[in-house]
Amino acid sequence: MRASQDIYPQSVDVERDVEQLRNSWRHPRGVLGWLSFTTHQAIGTRYIVTAFIMLLAGGIEALMIRTQLMRANNGYLGPERYNQIFTTHGTTMMFLFAVPVMEGMAIYLVPLMCGTRNVAFPRLNAFGYWMYLFGVLFLYWGVFTNTAPDVGWFAYPPLSGPQYTPGKSTDFWAQMITFTEVSALCVAAEIIATISKMRAPGMSLNRMPLYIWSILIQSWMIIFAMPAIVLASSYLLSDRTVGTHFVNPAEGGDPLLYQHIFWFFGHPEVYIIFIPALGFVSAIVVAHARREIVGYTAMVLAQIANGFIAFGLWVHHMFATDLPQIGEAYFTASSMMIAVTSGVQIFCWIATLWSGRPRMTTALHFVYGFIAIFVLGGLTGVMLAAVPLDLQAHDTYFVVAHFHYVLIGGALFPLFGAFYHWHPKFTGRLMNETLGRANFWVLFAGFNLTFFPMHILGLKGMPRRIYTYPPGMGWDGLNLLATVGAWIIAAGGILFIVNFLWSRKNGEVAGNNPWDADSLEWAASSPPANYNFEYLPAVTSRYPLWAPREQRGVVTGLATDRREALVTTLMDAEPHHRYILPGSSIWPLISAICVTIGFAGSVFNGWYITWGAIISGLAFIGWFWPKRPLEPAHD
Amino acid sequence: MTDVQTIDVGHLKAYDISNQDPLWWGQFMFVFIEGAMFAILIAAYFYTRLRMDVWPPPGDQFPHKLLPTLELIPLILSCAGTYWASEAAKKNSRGGMAGGLTLNIALAAVALWMRIVEWHSLNFNWMTDIQGSYVWAFLGLHTFDYIADLAFTAVLLLLVLIGRCGPKQRLGVHVDSIVWYFLVAIWIPIYVVIYWGPIIVETQQ
Repeated sequence: MRASQDIYPQSVDVERDVEQLRNSWRHPRGVLGWLSFTTHQAIGTRYIVTAFIMLLAGGIEALMIRTQLMRANNGYLGPERYNQIFTTHGTTMMFLFAVPVMEGMAIYLVPLMCGTRNVAFPRLNAFGYWMYLFGVLFLYWGVFTNTAPDVGWFAYPPLSGPQYTPGKSTDFWAQMITFTEVSALCVAAEIIATISKMRAPGMSLNRMPLYIWSILIQSWMIIFAMPAIVLASSYLLSDRTVGTHFVNPAEGGDPLLYQHIFWFFGHPEVYIIFIPALGFVSAIVVAHARREIVGYTAMVLAQIANGFIAFGLWVHHMFATDLPQIGEAYFTASSMMIAVTSGVQIFCWIATLWSGRPRMTTALHFVYGFIAIFVLGGLTGVMLAAVPLDLQAHDTYFVVAHFHYVLIGGALFPLFGAFYHWHPKFTGRLMNETLGRANFWVLFAGFNLTFFPMHILGLKGMPRRIYTYPPGMGWDGLNLLATVGAWIIAAGGILFIVNFLWSRKNGEVAGNNPWDADSLEWAASSPPANYNFEYLPAVTSRYPLWAPREQRGVVTGLATDRREALVTTLMDAEPHHRYILPGSSIWPLISAICVTIGFAGSVFNGWYITWGAIISGLAFIGWFWPKRPLEPAHD
Repeated sequence: MTDVQTIDVGHLKAYDISNQDPLWWGQFMFVFIEGAMFAILIAAYFYTRLRMDVWPPPGDQFPHKLLPTLELIPLILSCAGTYWASEAAKKNSRGGMAGGLTLNIALAAVALWMRIVEWHSLNFNWMTDIQGSYVWAFLGLHTFDYIADLAFTAVLLLLVLIGRCGPKQRLGVHVDSIVWYFLVAIWIPIYVVIYWGPIIVETQQ
């Protein structure tokens, strides 16, 4: 079914244009062709699928952890294996699942929601995906060859230094970070360029959907936070492999500096995961409460403030180190401040739902679940921001409970909601609502059963990262409860997978806009064609698809015999010039392989950096080498 | 809100060699990323420095200042070549691009040679002590970017000379200039840190 054809002008030859668009956006055939895809739908899907496989891996690791802690003196996992499993769990969930899945969703949705044909740099997009995939394979190569990292997902020196953790496991960890940060930075750059310069005409900044705002803020945060982890992991790696002294106290380095730099990245990282989730929530709330958002301006400002404040509270991860009290007081205040900006958003959503006509879909269930869980996590966050309480609760299960409430509640529940919301756009079919609700309730119950007892365990003094505990500490019952909860979460996960597989084949056919939602992605067909829109939409309102028909319009005059999009101005999105997007290309994969040879090899021998740089440079030159005829062939 | 039915963009240019192009924005992001990294590295240098009693660590020579300061002259002048090339790219002047890029590469190569001579004269390396680690990190990271950008500038020059130079390649010349300005601009604080830092924050040995 063709989208919104009633608003097309009389003058265009729709049949001819669609025929040409199909040809110019056709994917190449064969295995080599498949490896050359550069459309954002294909790359976004690859990110999402890979990230969900990583969620499965991280989930299995979580089940192993919980099974080990089920009862006192359990012998299921030994201490070494346990350290490997919990480190791999944290690393997988943070670096290989949470950030990439948010990026994958953004890659898929941003061009659609902005009303354009692809991201600004399609080949860079493909390159970023390959780097991410190779990072996944690199870490799990280590895991399956018994070289799994075992020093926690943050790998503090001196424990992670060459003296205390010989072998290659930490090097694998540190270099895996490099892969994922390259990938995240590629995505951030292309998303900022896309949002800034390729929005539909008329989509001025104050008409941007809140999801687009959230991704824009997240991408800027990546730009400023990821360089810190570049340094932190390079410090660690070079201390370990070539004998520098940055953070190795045995050599005059300063391990506390590592913590500072790591958390200067690590705290924004949490918001890099969580701010896009807020965007999901806004999109779901508007579409399913069937009304405009309450407090659009307040929402945008609160999210921007969130982005800024996120860089000013990293030290609250380090209250147990020997820092000056005045510094601690500052970071307590800033940590509590984030509750204000988050609170503004929570109240806006509640007001929207309250005054709207909410449809109790599965997606909205997940939003309600998010609000409940996230508010609880936020409250324990405010508690932990107070230094005296933090010193008591530091390194206990109270902290584990807190960050699972904010991360699972704040990111995973909105993500599931988003998946139910956008699944019809991705596949053309709705997911099953009955199974969906069962999915939600099982997850919600399992989640609270797993993580609520951890608050109490923490207050009772159970420390994190212990592989077992003696009986008689008063921890047995609650640990068993948490383990039962973890298996219930697993059952919820299986329900999700069953629903997904069933709905792909048997779900109700969705049509373009099954939710009667407001934003531009619902004007495209489901699933979208490779070119997204036959004619790019023009926008006159914040809720373009809810605008009256006479206010809706399209862009004509773009070439259809090549991949062409429209560049608009930053603030008001006025048409500026046309922009030729590159087609399919194998070079991103070749370049990613060359960079991978350099990165992976450098763990074993420093010379690989040099050779890797040379072959990567040659690959990049091949990538950019102009093909004849030189573009644009005609104006 | 206005009523909009159809916006015809057929009359707009199919490319634009200016800061309106997405590629310019992409390059700008790259500069932000690199800049953030060097800013954190500089902060970390002073963090480490202020926690040490003696700086530079005993045995490290004070860096020479003459050659690094002279190096700034060809380095800053090389920006003129970059500017010439990027303006020529906008005007589609092949001669201007070739001349500008050649001047850029030649002056950059002189500056690089001076840097390497000075680098060679250091009596410590990255393994010697913590100052050595930092100085080599600054020099290594910046020089890596420097050589990488020189290589790409050379490729652009080659494309201009053999005539494979359409609007996309001209846009490449234009956005390449952003990276070069950045690499020169960021070198100035790095220069201050590694060559003057030990004096500015000196302690008695």
